[in-house]
Order: sequence, then C-alpha cells, then structure tokens
Amino acid sequence: MKTWKDELEGRMPADWATEIDLFENQMELRRQGKVEEKLFAETRLRRGAYGQRYDNGQRNDGTGTKALAYPNGALTKGPDTIWDAPGMQRIKIPFGGLNPDQMDVLADLAEEYSDGICHVTTRQDIQLHYVHFDDTPSLLRRLAAIGITTREACGNSVRNVTACPLAGVCRDESFDVTPYANASMKFLLGHPDVQDFGRKFKIAFSGCRQHACGLVNMHDMGAIAVTREIDGETVRGFELYVGGGLGAVPYDAVLFDEFVREDEILPITQAISRVFARLGEKRNRARARIKFLVKNLGMEEFKRLVLEERAKLPHDDRWAAYLDELPSHGEKPLKVGASLNGAARPEGFDAWCETNVYRQRQPGYCVAAVTLPLGDITSHQLRELAAIARRYVGESVRTTVEQNIVLRWVSEADLPQLYEELRALGLSAPGAGSIVDVVSCPGTDTCKLGIASSRGLAGELQSRLAAKAMELDKAVRDMRIKISGCFNSCGQHHISDLGFYGVSRNVGGYTVPHFQVVVGGKWVDNGGSYGLPIGAVPSKRIPDVVTAMTDAYLRERQGQETFQEYTQRVGKKALKDKLAPFTKVPAREEDASFYSDWGDPREFTIGDMGTGECAGEVVSLVDSDLSLAEAMVFDSQLALENGDFTAVADKSYQAMLQGAKALVKMRFLDITDDPDQIVAEFKQRYYDTEIFFDRFGGGRFGQYLFRRHEQKEQPTDTAAGRQLVEEASLFVEACHACSAKLAAQGSTAQGGAAEGVTSTVVTLEL
Amino acid sequence: MGGHTDVDGLQRIGVKFYLSETPPLDAVIPVFHRWIQTAAVEGMLIDIADYSHVPDGPGVMLIAHEGNYAVDLNGGRPGVLYYRKQALAGDLDQRVRAVCAAALRAAALLEGEASLGGVKLRGDELQIFANDRLLAPNDGATEAAFAPVLTGLLDRLYAGAPRQLCRDQDPRRRFNVDVKAERGADAATLLQRLTA
Ligand code: SF4
Repeated sequence: MKTWKDELEGRMPADWATEIDLFENQMELRRQGKVEEKLFAETRLRRGAYGQRYDNGQRNDGTGTKALAYPNGALTKGPDTIWDAPGMQRIKIPFGGLNPDQMDVLADLAEEYSDGICHVTTRQDIQLHYVHFDDTPSLLRRLAAIGITTREACGNSVRNVTACPLAGVCRDESFDVTPYANASMKFLLGHPDVQDFGRKFKIAFSGCRQHACGLVNMHDMGAIAVTREIDGETVRGFELYVGGGLGAVPYDAVLFDEFVREDEILPITQAISRVFARLGEKRNRARARIKFLVKNLGMEEFKRLVLEERAKLPHDDRWAAYLDELPSHGEKPLKVGASLNGAARPEGFDAWCETNVYRQRQPGYCVAAVTLPLGDITSHQLRELAAIARRYVGESVRTTVEQNIVLRWVSEADLPQLYEELRALGLSAPGAGSIVDVVSCPGTDTCKLGIASSRGLAGELQSRLAAKAMELDKAVRDMRIKISGCFNSCGQHHISDLGFYGVSRNVGGYTVPHFQVVVGGKWVDNGGSYGLPIGAVPSKRIPDVVTAMTDAYLRERQGQETFQEYTQRVGKKALKDKLAPFTKVPAREEDASFYSDWGDPREFTIGDMGTGECAGEVVSLVDSDLSLAEAMVFDSQLALENGDFTAVADKSYQAMLQGAKALVKMRFLDITDDPDQIVAEFKQRYYDTEIFFDRFGGGRFGQYLFRRHEQKEQPTDTAAGRQLVEEASLFVEACHACSAKLAAQGSTAQGGAAEGVTSTVVTLEL
Repeated sequence: MGGHTDVDGLQRIGVKFYLSETPPLDAVIPVFHRWIQTAAVEGMLIDIADYSHVPDGPGVMLIAHEGNYAVDLNGGRPGVLYYRKQALAGDLDQRVRAVCAAALRAAALLEGEASLGGVKLRGDELQIFANDRLLAPNDGATEAAFAPVLTGLLDRLYAGAPRQLCRDQDPRRRFNVDVKAERGADAATLLQRLTA
C-alpha cells in the first residue's frame, strides 16, 4: 500500500524528513511502552500535537459523566491523555506568511484528517482539531513537503515568531521586519540553546510603536523596528523588549535596549535564550516564563547577564548571513498597481472597503482583509482563496493575530472584482478589526482548560453586532471585543476594549457559566496596557452588558475619547455599577437557560455535578464570604487606579486572606482573623491535601497567597501593583472553583467532617 | 476492482445524502447531544462541533471515533454527511455500503426529529467521495477503479432506476461523484434496499 512517506520522498527537506521518521519511531516505542508517558508528551507537544478536551476518556453528556470507550483506551500519549482520543494539531506559520500552494495543502489536510475547518489563531498559527494521533506523521510529511514544519509549535520552546501582517507595505513602519522575523525563526528552530526552557518563549516583531499589529508588549521577547543616524548613515535596529506576557497574570514587557543593531538581534536573542535556559524556573511551571526571571533579577541584572553571555558566544555566520540578501528581499506584485478610477462599485463594496481595505504605501496597491468568523475557514473556501490569491496577488498572503487572512499587493483596480469573488465564497463580510470582528480562543469547544464557551459567546455577539453594524456609531464600531474561555488569556482579553474570560459561580447548588468583564485594555501601542476584571456576569447576560457598556460610552463620551480613555476617566467603580443590573442569576425553575452555556444545551458543569439542598446552604455561606473577597479585590483595583500602591498591597492581600478564610470556614467555623492562622489552616486543609489544586495549574494560585503572606510585597509602580491585583483576583477565582468543586461533590470537604459545623451539614457530607 | 490496488485499500470513504431543505442548525445541536446520550447512531460518539457560523460550511458535526456525522452545508447544499476515519472490515464494496448505511441510519433518525421541522432527505441525490488523495486522487484512474463499486451501490439503492453521474473534474478537490437518480426513495427504504 502506498504511503505518504514514499510518495513525498525527496520532496521534504532532508533534516525535516529525518525528524518526522524519528518521531514516528518514538510513537512506536510509546505504543510498546518503551517511552515514559511524560517524556513522550513533551516530544509530542514539540511536534505541535496537542491534547484536546475529553481526551482523558471522560465526558459529561448532560446526564452525568460517562466514560468514552476508545478502542485503545489503555494506551496513552501523555499523562491522562488517551492515544485514540482526537487532538489538536498546531501548525506554525512564521510571521503568518502563506503561499497558495501551502493553502491548498492545508485545505486538504483539514478535510482528510480534521473536520474540514482551518482555524487561524491569535498568534498567526493554523490549528486543526479532532485529529487522530496516528495520522500525525502523514500530516507532518505533507506539511514538510510544502515548507511548513510544526516543530516546536508547542512545548517548552520558541513558539511561532509573529510579525505585523502589514510588514513591508505599511505606511507607518520604520522598515519591513519580515526578513528579521523569518531569520529568527530559522535560526532558533531546533537550536540547542532553546531546548532547555522551563516554559514556552514567544517572539514578535513590529514595524512601529504605535499600532497593535506586532503586540510586542505581551511577548516574551518583542522587537520594534527603529533606525538611527550613525556616522551619517541610517542604521537599522530594534527597540528590544523582554518579559511581557498575558496568561493568568499579564506582564508588560520591559525595555531591554533602545537600540539593538540589526546584526546583533540574533546573537542577543541567543544570549537571552541561554540566560533563560540557565536561570529560568524549571520545576514550578506557573513561575517559569521569562517574565518571572526578568522580574526577579531586575532588568539591569538580567541585561548584564545577557551581555556577559553575548560576549562569550562563539561566532555564528548565520547571525548576519541573511542581511546580505536584504536588498533583494521584497515581494514582487503580480499586477500593475492602478487606481479604481471610477469603476463600478458592487453592492456592499463601500462598506467592505471601509473596514477591510488598507491602502499600502506603494501607490496603486492595497491590502484586503478576509474576515473569518471566529477564525474559521472551510477547506473549500481556503482552496478557492488560494486560487484567488494566485490570480490577484501571487504569494502575498498572511494570517493575522485577529484571526483573519490578508491578501497583500492587490491592485486597487481589482478591488471590485476581488470583492465579488470573495462574496461568492462567503468571505466578503465587512468589519475587519471592528467590534463585529470578535476574537475568541477555542474555549470549552476543544480546550481542556476551558471553563466557559468563549466561541459560543463570540458567535452570539458577532451575529447580534453584525445585524446592527451599520447603525452602530463609528466610535463603537472601532472598539474590539476579545474573549477567552479561562483566565489564561489565549483570546487576549487583556488588550481589548471589552474583554471577557470564562469563570463559574455556584448558584443554589448549580454551577452557572459566567464571564469576568475586563475593561481598560489597550490594543494600540503594541497592546500598550492591560485591562482589569471588574466583575463576573452570567454568560447569558453578556450581550446585555455589551449593549449597556457601549450605550453608556456613547452617552458619556467626551470629545473624541476612545472607549479605553473613557474607562480610564470614569473609573472602575462607575463601570462596575453598570454591571450590577446583569449579575443576578434567576432561579433555575424561573429560567433554566442561565444554567447552560452558549451553543450547548447540556446543563453546565465544570466536572461531575451533584447537588443537595443543604450543601446549597453551606455553599451560600461560602459564596457570600467569597463575594466579599471579590469586593476587596475590586477595592484594590480602585486603589491602583488612584496610584495608592500601599493600599493596593494591603487590599489585595486582605482579599486573598478573605478568600482563604471563606474556604477554611467550610471545615472549621471557629477560624479567627489572624492571618497566620488563616494561612496555616488553609495550607493544611486545602493546599497540602491538594483539594485546592486545579487539574492543570496544580497549586499555583495557593502559592500567590503564601508568597504574599511571607513577603508582604509593596509595589512601587503600576505594573507591579497590577500584578498583585491580578494575583488576588485569580486566587479568589480559584477559591470559587474550589468551593464549586466541593459543592458538586456534595460535601464541604473530601471525606472529613467540618469542625464546629452543625449536625445537619455534617450529615450532608456523607 | 480492475486490479487498481490503491483504490482497493481505500478506507476514508464518505457520503452525503442531500436534504430537501436546511434544518434549523441550532435545533440540530440538542438532537446530536441526545444522540450521544442514547448512543443513537453507530460509533463511539465523542462530541459536537458547531460550525453554523461558517457560510456553506460543515454545519453541525457529531464527532465519533470511527467517523464524523454532520448536517453539512458545503457547496451551499444541505445534506446528511458521514465520512469514515478508521478502517472498516470487508472489501471496498462492503465498506462503501457500510458507510452509506451509517449515513442513512442517521438520516432516517433526523427525519423523525420533530424539532427539525420535518426535514426530509431528497432521496434521489447523493455525493460519494474518497477522502484520501494518496490512495484515490481525483483522476480518471480512480474513477475507473471505483466505477464497479459505485454501480453496484447505486443499483441497490435506486433499484435499477436510471441515474446521472458527474465526477468533479477539479484535480485539487478530493475524488467525488454526484449522483442523481430518476427515482428516489425515503431514507428507510434506501437503507432497507442497501442492507437487504
Ligand atoms: S484561554 Fe483558556 S480556554 Fe482559552 S484556549 Fe487558553 S487555556 Fe484554553
């Protein structure tokens, strides 16, 4: 029987072909039980082969948790990850650059191995879902044959190197960062110095400071193109930042150097990698990103170590070899640039042009954005889009961090015809980069960590907003909405006008999907500042929240104020007050819809559910305590807003103590207000027993409390203050999750009677 | 099978039975969830994938280990889709019939779902495809190799009624043949003929 390996022999880069053969061998060894599952999991992840929801062989089907009887249920591809369970394949697309041949193959792969959909991610990758692991080697070979590798698409390594999709054609860039992003990707791929990281490392290149496209601020390492006059010559270089990141607690990247010359960018990156590999945290994943290393060392010391390392690096020709080719770099337009010149404009064309067409700095050419709903494109659409690209632009296609695809170098004169062809494919929706273009991570659809349905909510918001897009005020249209299924922020909720991330709340013994509402984030200036949560709202009321917030903005806006500026001016307290009408969850008998998530009729659960009336009483006690903790977190936010860092430290710490106490009280009613006692009891009852742990993050949120209790940190700037607030917020969320877990188990604690708890409640624990 | 060994080995077979109209997709989601609860269709049923936001896309899918089901809208035409991902026993003829039977069982169940507003199979139209460009590229050789199996299948399904076949000639697309019979039948009858 034919195989793709035979078929593609000689058409893949030899080293990539060998790597895939090796991976296939490792798969076989794992099947034979000769590779330990943890080790194999990292091997698999480094090939971009992720697990997916329900791959532990369990799923709540709406009537209870049921076993999924995979034929090969005993064989695992990682801890708690069944071999036969479908997974997600992440495909790295460096700087988002694609050509039509690659698009064709991606379309074929989605059709043959996945579900017929290519999903564009917020880091310019493509993801395929529901892929059977046994298909992976063939899939990887077919990608290798078109010049795409998935090596290090996941795992503790250098992830996709991203860059502005407008690089090279942007009117505001210092210079085209594409060749630098490409060179970094090639240089670092499989480099020995990036193989021993404690966590992932994300790199981004941006052509300017002011726009968002590169999102440098939220990257482990980000480079902004700048030029300097040196000895009468214009020299290219980069303003280099290190230590940014979203995730549970977002960090602003810190300036490493105002000007790293272009020929130094690769060696400095290598030196940074070495320092990170040597000194970065390895055991505690929650503190292992480079942002923690930079914070712990301080930028001055970090930089000193990097420069020391740089001085020791043996010379590598690749550092500068690509620079010789720069003069010949550049895309050759397929068509002659020509203006529209009064050509007929089809219906809908003007609205599409307004949001989806960007005039390049090269006269007569435009970039056309293809808006993809939730980042999804079908195999058929992608294949036909490849054909369109061949006809209009040749090779110039890129994915974007807003989950769209752009065609570059479109001759302006071709725009009406291009629009018609996109329309025939269902790809002509206007609204790219507007409030309609809602960004979402996979959430509970496929992600193992998802708490609430980010895609379900995004789809709902998108269809409601699209229906009234033309009536929306331009100020509202220009806003952005980004949604994550949990606090990890893959949907980049921190850097949007209105961000949402999934949480859950216990209401009358039922778990109800909620979203935290995040405001104040800044998309421009490379994701210039991060928003903060102002309160949790039931998932089903989020569309009302969007309406209320945007209406209030229009009503109260001063001058040309943006939404972000508006939120800064009116303050979190006033904004939180606007949420108040939407926070109440009706009783289940009154409206059961609140108890299921968007697009999913199953009763909402974050695990196996069990309910009891009196467990509900116990939970309401803890819930009111936790709601007090939430209010205290909010107080710390207000203090942050006022620049009162002492109060930030105090209030955020008090909020954590309150959360911990609420949990302790479930088992020990006589707990006092003594912080030492609260922390000790919490540790003994919830942390050491791992009751507080979540399946994926372990005890990291508990560690926030312990660190604060021991160190009594005092922030000295907004960034540090915001971290304390974020940590407090996450700790309190984790307390909610823990209490929900206990309620769902129908007990106040696993296997133990609560001291001082009334006999009624103790009975219910059994 | 004319000695065309590559097509003989084909396992990734799919079929789409066209529907007379598009059912409300948001109503399909709870139906598929219920099917998982009751194991209503064959296979190890895993989850639902909702692509109703994608124009002319996969609609709503019911993901199973062995193969995926969908109320599919690709090509702008609604249909009940089933395509196989795991190997089936038997020769190609048996495998093709097994795939069609799985799709027809799902279609018959959908026809009985009151919440879908009486959705009906067209009964006289289907598309059969090979979801494997390695073993069955979209070319004349595959068509020739596949022809006897297809003829046998259609003779059974349409009880010898005349039909028109149209292979998609675009080499980029997977091998697929659209079939239109002069006389159709409902899902239950087609299934009964297929399994008789
Ligand atoms: S934000 Fe959470 S739910 Fe969304 S993809 Fe990331 S980990 Fe998963």
